[in-house]
Amino acid sequence: MLFVGQVFLGLWLLTTVVAIGALLWGRSLGAKQGESVTNFGYLATFAGTAAITISSLVMITAFFIKDFSFLYVVENHSTDVSSLAWLYTLSGIWAGREGSLLFWAWLIALFAAWVAYQRMDKTDDLSNMGLMVTNLVMVCFGVAMVFSDPNNPFKSTPAEWLSNGQLVGQGASLGMNPLLQHWAMILHPPTLFIGYAGLTIPFAFAMAAIIVNDRSKTWVEIVDRITVFAWLFLGAGIGLGAVWAYVVLGWGGYWAWDPVENASLLPWLTGVGLIHSFTVYRRRDGFKRWSIVQAASTFSLVILGTFITRSGIVQSVHAFQEDPVSKYLFGFMIIAPIVAVAIGLYLRWKTFEGNDEFESLTSKEAAYYFNNVIMLVSGWLVAYMTVTSALPTWMPFGGQSISAVSYDLIGRPLGVLYVFIIAVCPILAWRKTEPATFWARVKWPLVGTAVIFALLVWDWVVNLRPIYLFMIEQGGEGARKLQAFGPEIVYDIISIGGFLAGALLISTTTWLFIDGSRKRAKAKGENALSSFGSILVNARTQSGGYLSHIGMGIIIIGLVGSSMYVRDVIIEVPDKQGESFTVDDYTFTYQGLNEQKLTNGDIVARASFAVARDGRALGTVTPGLTQFARQGQTRLDAEVLSEPLRDIFMVWQGSEQGMMSVNVKINPLIWFAWGGFGLLMLGTALAAWPKKRPALAAAPAGKNR
Amino acid sequence: MNKRARNRLIGVTAIVVLGIAAIFASIGSRGGTAYYKSVEDIAKDKSLVGERVKVGGAVVPGSWDRKSNPMTFEIRDEKDTYGTGPIIRVVYSEGVPTTFGDGVTAILTGEIKPDGTLLAGEMITKCPSKYETAKGAMPVGDLVEGGESMVGKTIKMTGHVKPGSIVPPGEPVRFYAAEDEGGGGVQVGVGYEGALPEGMADGSQVVIQGALEQDGIFVATNVSMAESQK
Repeated sequence: MLFVGQVFLGLWLLTTVVAIGALLWGRSLGAKQGESVTNFGYLATFAGTAAITISSLVMITAFFIKDFSFLYVVENHSTDVSSLAWLYTLSGIWAGREGSLLFWAWLIALFAAWVAYQRMDKTDDLSNMGLMVTNLVMVCFGVAMVFSDPNNPFKSTPAEWLSNGQLVGQGASLGMNPLLQHWAMILHPPTLFIGYAGLTIPFAFAMAAIIVNDRSKTWVEIVDRITVFAWLFLGAGIGLGAVWAYVVLGWGGYWAWDPVENASLLPWLTGVGLIHSFTVYRRRDGFKRWSIVQAASTFSLVILGTFITRSGIVQSVHAFQEDPVSKYLFGFMIIAPIVAVAIGLYLRWKTFEGNDEFESLTSKEAAYYFNNVIMLVSGWLVAYMTVTSALPTWMPFGGQSISAVSYDLIGRPLGVLYVFIIAVCPILAWRKTEPATFWARVKWPLVGTAVIFALLVWDWVVNLRPIYLFMIEQGGEGARKLQAFGPEIVYDIISIGGFLAGALLISTTTWLFIDGSRKRAKAKGENALSSFGSILVNARTQSGGYLSHIGMGIIIIGLVGSSMYVRDVIIEVPDKQGESFTVDDYTFTYQGLNEQKLTNGDIVARASFAVARDGRALGTVTPGLTQFARQGQTRLDAEVLSEPLRDIFMVWQGSEQGMMSVNVKINPLIWFAWGGFGLLMLGTALAAWPKKRPALAAAPAGKNR
Repeated sequence: MNKRARNRLIGVTAIVVLGIAAIFASIGSRGGTAYYKSVEDIAKDKSLVGERVKVGGAVVPGSWDRKSNPMTFEIRDEKDTYGTGPIIRVVYSEGVPTTFGDGVTAILTGEIKPDGTLLAGEMITKCPSKYETAKGAMPVGDLVEGGESMVGKTIKMTGHVKPGSIVPPGEPVRFYAAEDEGGGGVQVGVGYEGALPEGMADGSQVVIQGALEQDGIFVATNVSMAESQK
C-alpha cells in the first residue's frame, strides 16, 4: 500500500515533467507539426491527474482501514467514536503537513485536468502554455513531497511501534489532536485548500498570455469562472475559521489578526482586485496589466500564507513545526511569480496596454482602479506586518511583533473608505459621470441611506457610544486599544463613517435591483417580481456581484458593532446559588455548578447562569471547564447566548475559596457580520455558477486586436 | 486618458498611499508593536523598563491564583528545564485563555514595570508539546544503581512511562519511569506537579530533569518527550 502510494506520487511528478516538455516542444514545432506532441502534453496532464488521484485514494483508504504502516496515518488518525467518526477519519488527510500538501497538489491536478478537458479540442497556444505553467507549479509541489523527507506523505512507521498491525508503545500515543476533532475541522481546511489550488489557474494563464504575447480577453474568459469559484471557497474557508474560533475555541472573538488567519486573508484581498480587474478586462478591454499583477500577487500570497503557517517563522496560537528543507522551495515559489511577471510585463509592456482611457475621477474606471490600489496595498502590507518579527531590524518594525490594534488602526479607516468606493462604483458611468445622471441615480438611494443611517446612529447614541465610555473608564488593555486611535472623535468618525458607508452601499445596490426590475418589467410587460427573478438568473455575474456588495454593506455594519464596541468585563462574585450580578442591561443569576467525572478521570464542570434583560428571562448560559486529569491540563469552555442585536459571550474562570471569576463579553451587531457574510457567499456562488452557453467567444485566440 | 484626469488620479492615489503609510509609521508610538524578548533579556536588561515587549515562557507550576484580580503568575524560559534560570512575575488583568495552566507556554505582550514585573494585556497560550534529546541523559537503571550517591544531585534522566502508572497531580508519585517500554526492569517513582507534555502516554520515552530525594522519589522540575519520538 505504502509503496503503491509512493510510486504513483513519483509517476505524477514524472508526468508533470513530461507534460511541460511536450507542451514546450509542441510549441517550438509550430501549430501544425507540433500538434501531436502538444496533444501528448494534454494526455500527460490527464495521466498525471489519474496518478495523483490514485496516490490520494491510497492515502484515504489507509485512513479508513487504519493501515498503521503509514507513519502519516499513525500521526493523524482520529480516535473519535461519535456518529461523525468517518468524517474525522477522512479529515486526517489534511490534519498534518504532508497530507495537506498531497491534498492541495491533488486539487491543483484536478483543476488542471478540468482546464485541459475544456481546451483539448482547441489546443490553442494560450491554453497549452497555461497548462504548461500549471504543470510547472505542480512540479514544485511534487519535488517538495518526493525529495524532501519531512514533506513525504508516504513514510513508513518504525517497526518497533507495530505489532500485528496494532500500535504499541510510543506509537499508541499518537493520533489527531483532540482539539481538531470538531465539525469545523471537516470543512474549514478543505474549503481553504480548494481556494488555494484554484488560484493557481489565473496565475498560470496570466503567464501564458505573457508568453504567447496575447492581449485578447481569451485567457480571462478561460479562467474567470474558476477564479470566482476559487475565491468563493477561500472566502467560505475564512468564514468557517472565524465561526470556529468564536463558537468553539472560545478565543473571545472571530478575528484576532493571528498570523494563520492573516495567511488566508492575504490572497483573498488581492483576489478581490483580481476578479474586478477581470471584469474590466472582459467588458472594457482595459486593466490588462492590473489583471496580470493581481493574478501573480494572489498566487504568490497563497504560497506566502502557507509558508507563514508551515515554516514556524512567526509565533502564533497555532502550533507550528519547523521545516528548513522546504524553506527554499517555498521561498522560490513566493518570489518567482513576482519576478516572472515583472520581467514579462517589462518585455510586453506595449502588448498589455489596455483601453484605460477615462476622462474623470467620477467614472467607473477610477473606482475599479482604487479598488485595485487598495486591495494590492493592503494585501502586501498585511503580509509584511505579519512577518516583521522574522525580518532584520533595519527594516521598518523588523524584529518586532505587530499586535492586533495596529491592524485595526490601518484597516478600519481604509475599510470605510473602501466601502464608500464600492457604494458609488455601480452608479458611476464608464469614462465620466455627468452630475445630472449621477443625481438621478443617487436620489432614491439617498432616501434609503438616510433611513438606515438614522437607525444606526440612534443605536450608536443609545447603545454603542456608552460602551466606549465604559471601557475607557474601566481602563486596562480594553481602554488602551481604544485610546490607540487618539481622541474619541477619531473613533466616532470611523464608526459613524462605517455606518454611513454601509447604509449607502446597501441602498445604492438595492436600488440597482429595483430600478433594473422596473425597467425590464416595463419593457417586457411582466410584473416587477418576475423581472427581478430573471435578472438574478440571467445576468448572474452582475447580480451575484451586486448581492455580494450588499453583503459587504451589512458586514461592515456588523464589524463596526462587534469589533469596535465590545463590552468586556471580569467579575468576581461569591460562589453561592442565587447570587446575581449585572452587565449592562443583563442580569446573571448563578444557578449552581454541575460537575461530572468521566471514566478516564477527566472532570467536566458546568456553571449555569440564568440571563434576564429588564426582568425578561432570555435563557441559560452554561460556561465551564474541563480538567484533563492525566495531563494535569485545564481547558475553559466558553458559551454564547445570542440575541438579534447582540451576543453574550461568557467564560467561567473557575471558583476558589468561595469566589468565582467570570468574564463576560457583549458583542453588538455580530449577527450582521454573519448574515452579511452569508449573503456575500450566496452572491459569489451565483456569480460563479456556470453559464448555460460556453462563455468563450468564438474568436480565434492568439490574435492581436 | 486626458492629462488632467491622470494628474488627479495620481494625486488621489498619492494621498491614499501616504495616508496608509502615515498610519503605518505611527503604530509604534501608539503601542501597536512590541519587541520579542526572552525571559532572560527582561530579567537582566534594565533598559527595557517602560518598553512594550512580547515574551514567551512556561507558567511556573503553582505560581498562579485565578481568583486574585488582577491575576498574577510567574514564567520562566521554556528551555530552562533545570528550573535554575531567571523568573519574571506577570500581572494580567484580562480574560484568561482557555488552556492556561501549570507548565503551559504563555506568550505575553505588555509593559515592563520598574520593579521588573510584566504588566501584560495580551496572552495567548500553547499546550506544552516539549521534546528533548535523550542524549547524555542517564538511563533509569544507572540512576537506581547509583543509589545513595545520587541523592540530591540535579540530573537529566530518561526512561519509559510504566503503563497504567500516570495519576493526576497531587499525589507524591505522578508516574513511574521504567527501564523497558513495557514497564519491566528497574523503575523509579517520579514526583511532578506540572502539566505533562502533549502526547505522553503509556510506554512513551521521556526525558526528566530533577533530583532523587532521600525517600527514593525522583522529584522532577521538567518532563519532556524524548526527541526520537517526534
